[in-house]
Amino acid sequence: MILKKIEVNINGRDYCLDVEENLRLIDLLRDKLKLTGTKEGCGEGECGACTVIMGGKIVNSCLVLAFQADKSRIITIEGIEEDDVIKNSFIEEGAVQCGFCTPGMVLAAKSLLDKNLNPTEEEIREAISGNLCRCTGYNKIVSAVKKAAKLKRGGDGE
Amino acid sequence: MNELKIVGKSINKIDAKDKVDGSAIYPQDIYLENMAFGVTIRSTRPHAFIKVDTKEAGKIDGVLKVFTYKDVPGKNHHGVVLKDHEVFASKKVRRIGDPIAFIVAETKEIAEYAKNFIKVEYEDIPAVFDPEEAMKEDSPKVHDRDNVFYHFKIRRGDVEKAFKECHVIVENVYKVPMVDHAFLQPEAGVAFLDEDGRVVVIASTQYPHFDQEEIAESLGVNKEMVRVLTPAVGGAFGGREDITVQIHLAIAALTLKRPVKTVYSREESFLAHSKRHAMKMYYKTGALKDGTLLALEAKIIGDSGAYASWAMNVLRKSAVHATGPYYIPNVKVDSFAVYTNNPFTGAMRGFGATQVPIAYEQQMDILAEKLGLTPIEIRLKNCFREGSETATGQVLEGFVPLERCIEELKSF
Ligand code: FES
Ligand code: FES
Repeated sequence: MILKKIEVNINGRDYCLDVEENLRLIDLLRDKLKLTGTKEGCGEGECGACTVIMGGKIVNSCLVLAFQADKSRIITIEGIEEDDVIKNSFIEEGAVQCGFCTPGMVLAAKSLLDKNLNPTEEEIREAISGNLCRCTGYNKIVSAVKKAAKLKRGGDGE
Repeated sequence: MNELKIVGKSINKIDAKDKVDGSAIYPQDIYLENMAFGVTIRSTRPHAFIKVDTKEAGKIDGVLKVFTYKDVPGKNHHGVVLKDHEVFASKKVRRIGDPIAFIVAETKEIAEYAKNFIKVEYEDIPAVFDPEEAMKEDSPKVHDRDNVFYHFKIRRGDVEKAFKECHVIVENVYKVPMVDHAFLQPEAGVAFLDEDGRVVVIASTQYPHFDQEEIAESLGVNKEMVRVLTPAVGGAFGGREDITVQIHLAIAALTLKRPVKTVYSREESFLAHSKRHAMKMYYKTGALKDGTLLALEAKIIGDSGAYASWAMNVLRKSAVHATGPYYIPNVKVDSFAVYTNNPFTGAMRGFGATQVPIAYEQQMDILAEKLGLTPIEIRLKNCFREGSETATGQVLEGFVPLERCIEELKSF
């Protein structure tokens, strides 16, 4: 197996790693670095449970090869700070049930709110359209993102 | 009155914090020292006698053992009501997806590679996919018995006489397909031996206490020697009520005395767990001129696929709910659970109560149209109220707010 050397910054930490050519980013994160907050729901780009932010954009880490992450900055769910308003809004709005979609949802929401603090409902639904949830029916997730946007703008979230 | 701290208040879900942090542990997130990895070989034919040759695969460097039915220390069976599943198919497979072997290797890659060296010889036999065909005497038999393994009857009043008195009768056949739960977390699990030599199985399951019994029976040990731990469960909706990974992992861990893990792909998940019952529903409903329902005759056929799972409970519930929330004095219902060579069906949200509304509510709309009533009028005329008696003779006491609910709909 051919190994490739990559340099990658994950959650603010620099790594220099030798990775197999066919290793997926999700396996690097989960199996090698034990960042298991990134989930695998389908392995083929359908569900978004494996969402991470790479170079400011959300990607399905099951569709990215580890070596493609060379020289990039990656944020996984473990890289979101403790008292993050998006995470708290998800908890308070009841947007979390089984939780398997949650890390991906939170990151998709973050990626939206990093660019747009005043999203319309449609923009929110569009932003999480690559993330499937089988439990909540989406409405609570949408209200959680709305609430987080409002709190980030300085409102009280109500 | 004591003040309640929780009841009546909106509280945050207790495990939501771990889940938003990504620190909640699902079985696939568990990595143990010296852990081996297992993959399952499944049938690719719906009905066939099989011969399995695992020799070549067993010789591959890094393969620890290939388990088949011969390696089941106890009973080679499981099942929530009838023990009609085999842990590993011994002589024949009854559906696409039946487990045949479990390869355990040092790594996932080796186990996957070894899959290519398992030889399964299939001798196809006639299969049956339509439950009505399967009900016929000369149809292929999925098990060594009649394919109809459950028949539930409701008899109330005299439907024959009542239909003669009806002003209008509506007769239709309704079909609903199988549905998969598609919970987001594919099946996964880890098993190992603890310090006391007990087998510990960690799996996302809806019934750790049932699993414990079924694992113990297949291992041929006392229940006390088996522990089942349920970590975070990534959705279930009824689809985790039957055994999938549990027994394979337990046998492997006990035999190899090493932790063993398995994780299904999405595709394998579809093959491994139950589906919602496909049903064919024959409905004949009769009413008087003013819309009062007088008689219902229904035949409900549930496709159980290759295994029974919860079919009896599901088809009983379909029958019990066959009138819908409407009072009908004369009722004759027959529901059947039938084996076929389709994917097996079991529990899924509603447990048989979900399918029948497709039939009884459309019957109501068609009756209303024929009688020149609105859908709301015909429902208000017949809906259950406090004190109503259901087709099975249950008198509804207490709170039956259906009438109010329908009234509310008037404004839409
Ligand atoms: S696991 Fe990557 S999109 Fe589903
Ligand atoms: S909370 Fe279960 S899939 Fe979204």
